Amino acid sequence: MNPSRTPARARRAVSALLAALSLAALVGVETPAFAEPVKHLKPEDYQSRIVAGRKGRVLLVNFWATWCEPCREEMPHLVAAAKKFPSRDLAVVLVSLDSQKTGPTQVPKFLKEKKVSFVSWLAKTRDPQDFIDTVDPTWDGSLPYTLVYGRDGKIATRLPGLQTEASFTEAIRKATGAR
Amino acid sequence: MKIPRLTLAALAAATTLALAVPAPAEKPEAPKIGTSAPDFTLPPAAGGAPVALKDLLAKSKAVVVIFDATKCPYAIGYKGRVADMGKEYAGKGVTFVTINSNKTEPAAEVAEDAKKNGFAFPVLKDEGNKVADLYAAQKTPEIYVLDPKGTLLYRGRIDETHEDPKNVKSPDLRNALDAILSGKPVPAAETKAFGCSIKRV
Repeated sequence: MNPSRTPARARRAVSALLAALSLAALVGVETPAFAEPVKHLKPEDYQSRIVAGRKGRVLLVNFWATWCEPCREEMPHLVAAAKKFPSRDLAVVLVSLDSQKTGPTQVPKFLKEKKVSFVSWLAKTRDPQDFIDTVDPTWDGSLPYTLVYGRDGKIATRLPGLQTEASFTEAIRKATGAR
Repeated sequence: MKIPRLTLAALAAATTLALAVPAPAEKPEAPKIGTSAPDFTLPPAAGGAPVALKDLLAKSKAVVVIFDATKCPYAIGYKGRVADMGKEYAGKGVTFVTINSNKTEPAAEVAEDAKKNGFAFPVLKDEGNKVADLYAAQKTPEIYVLDPKGTLLYRGRIDETHEDPKNVKSPDLRNALDAILSGKPVPAAETKAFGCSIKRV
């Protein structure tokens, strides 16, 4: 289309959109991660893709599922706790154990609804026990389950079951060495 | 030896404090494979005379205790399998029994769910999750298989997928029952149950 022939109203709309985008860039607005589709994670890739990806930071991995009530309940507490720490100190990753059938739609839908912007993976395994044993052989399979890794990549704290903002914060604080 | 008055006062204060704060209730340990599983008597969800585990054991070659739920998508995925296996193994002398310990699922709902799914075995309601606590059961579905003496022979899951039963590759409960009925050791006596958490009081 020839720009000179664009109706005035359309030109104004494009200008307004460009101005808004420029402003967003200036104030550092980021595209929310929850817009991304869920990534699939095989048990054998857990160490290399999740734990090794912490890049010297403390890493919190929350294992959950959309069908798990306490998992849904604790999610806002995890979001609130994580906000207290700068991203140079803490990385948070979600790993869903929803099924391969429902997970690809249910997981992004839930995260979008709840405005959760953590990086999210979907466990790709036909046997949940394989995944559970690979991640942590002491985990009995209950959800939710949270692991906090120290900067050295070793498990610093295991948080089985429903957590609160305080318990998440305490575990992260301990691992980061923050006061 | 003379004990300073201040030390005595501190000791007295500490003792008072220790007595004032109740010790946390001890969490029962999960029954171990090869040990006696806890006895229980519970009312059927649909009403009627209470059902005692010892009576079920007395008339069975094995008893399968299933902690179950009405709303858990994972447990729902297994309903058909549980109903079918309950009927199939009843003919072989094995008694299935389900226990609902969820505070969020009243007895009437549990009875309705069992009827809908064609459960032809005792369906019990565990108000106050007392039996779930005795067994240290955490999830639904979670399975315990006992021999006629009440010894725990298998604990864990039904199989590895709550989705299409045609895709099952690891029928752990079935393997356990077949081994028990043929007098062989259970090949995998403990597996990790996976499902929803029991909603306790």
